[in-house]
Amino acid sequence: MGENEEASLVLRQIGVKSNSLLAPLHTLSEVRTNRFLVRNLVRREVRSRYRNAALGYAWTVLEPALLASVYWFLFIMLSGNPDKMYAVWVLIGVIVWGCFSKSLNAATNSLTGNVRTMHLVYFPRSIFPVSGVAANLVVSLMSCLVILPIIYIYDTPLTVHLLWIPIGVFMAGFMALSLGMMVAPLNCVQRDVQHLIRFVTRAGFFVSPVMWTAEMAIERGAWGQAALWNPMVLPITMVRHGLEGKLVELPLAVIASSILFTIMMYVIGTIVFSKYERGAVKYL
Amino acid sequence: MTATSIKVEGITLHFPKQRNIFAIISDFFRKKERKFTALSNIDLEIKQGEVVGIIGRNGSGKSTLLRVISGIYPPNKGEVHAAGDISLLAGLGTGFSAHQTGRENALLYGSILGHSEKEMRAKLDEIIEFSELGSFIDEPLRTYSAGMKARLGLAVASAIKPNILLIDEVLGVGDPNFKEKSKKRILGMVKGASTVVIVSHSFGLMTDICDRVILLQKGKVVHDGAPQESIKKYYELEGGGK
Repeated sequence: MGENEEASLVLRQIGVKSNSLLAPLHTLSEVRTNRFLVRNLVRREVRSRYRNAALGYAWTVLEPALLASVYWFLFIMLSGNPDKMYAVWVLIGVIVWGCFSKSLNAATNSLTGNVRTMHLVYFPRSIFPVSGVAANLVVSLMSCLVILPIIYIYDTPLTVHLLWIPIGVFMAGFMALSLGMMVAPLNCVQRDVQHLIRFVTRAGFFVSPVMWTAEMAIERGAWGQAALWNPMVLPITMVRHGLEGKLVELPLAVIASSILFTIMMYVIGTIVFSKYERGAVKYL
Repeated sequence: MTATSIKVEGITLHFPKQRNIFAIISDFFRKKERKFTALSNIDLEIKQGEVVGIIGRNGSGKSTLLRVISGIYPPNKGEVHAAGDISLLAGLGTGFSAHQTGRENALLYGSILGHSEKEMRAKLDEIIEFSELGSFIDEPLRTYSAGMKARLGLAVASAIKPNILLIDEVLGVGDPNFKEKSKKRILGMVKGASTVVIVSHSFGLMTDICDRVILLQKGKVVHDGAPQESIKKYYELEGGGK
């Protein structure tokens, strides 16, 4: 029998949690160590989403474009005469908001949707929400390719500020990840959470600048000003202004609070997740 | 002389029961919690080099115990200690994707089992050869038969050499020809690993390879001894239960 070099192995406790307060950093290192796994899970998700479709990945661009054209039509019907870039602003809104809402739903359902895997192998559970969000980020970034013909058609300037486009999309996905990690363990205990989150993503659409822009809100006085405090205003406006070739133009307080909110959410989300995911698995 | 490989101390594990809103409110007022005790106060010590079997009726907590040892379930009470890396062999082909090729699935499954990219790339040729899939390896998985998927799953899962190997009912997959080969492969893994815990219903095999067999009943260890003895005890309980 195998009394070999392994005799020197020391006993370690299984399933000891590192300090929850370090979870924000710990999550990053877990993703780093398991990056091969994350990459494979993302590939699986993206591949299966566009399987057996004649147009395949073209749907990543087509879907937001079709949606945007409907909203554009709706808006013209309701208020008429928007500025010539309005259709583009809606398209960007649809892409960035879509990234957030799909990522949030994916992260919320990431534990409940992977029961079989969780029961058969052990790897850090944070990988589930992270890869769910990452898959949607990849799809959303592919959607952003629609920006290329827009630059040509509308003759917008080619500047370094175009870099704000992927940054804004990433920020939306990151916010979704944080919020999703916060609620994913709770969703294992009571599935009411996923219904609530689905409502949040549907209702959030209207109070976020998808069909409207920050500029329109500012013109509308107090209510419009209040709407700017929605943390989704920053990433969407960032992408729009990036396309226009400028740094995001919003009240400084709004920018600062959105960034602070995003970081806070990530810290709280990862702490909550690491504290409760272990117990939550038993509910599945 | 031999060091301890797995040490299970006083493990108790409850499963909470799903509740609707009425049950939540009534439980709140009656101050009780609905739960199911899957494991109660289990103590085990497994030495390095031992091959230990776990038997018991369905629902006696065999798989749950393996999951606690591998870290999937946190116990409510007690601690588990283990020396070296643990690999749980259960449900071959977890996470397979029907729309990707066999090769991609091998990498995917390997990464799910915790291998690095480097390890997987190094072992890929051997995995493909063992799976006997030939040119099918570059076809999408949806074109595979159940046996072919099982072969690929086993080929990937058995490419690892862990210190501690936990096996949960995965013996004998595929057609009769491959069954022999797969059994041999798993026995090879058992020999290669320093410590093995097997959950199985094939008592013949347990008698052949296990040094010790543990009998579980309703989440408790009722017998821990030589394979023959434990199996005899199992039949006694089984008879008594009727």
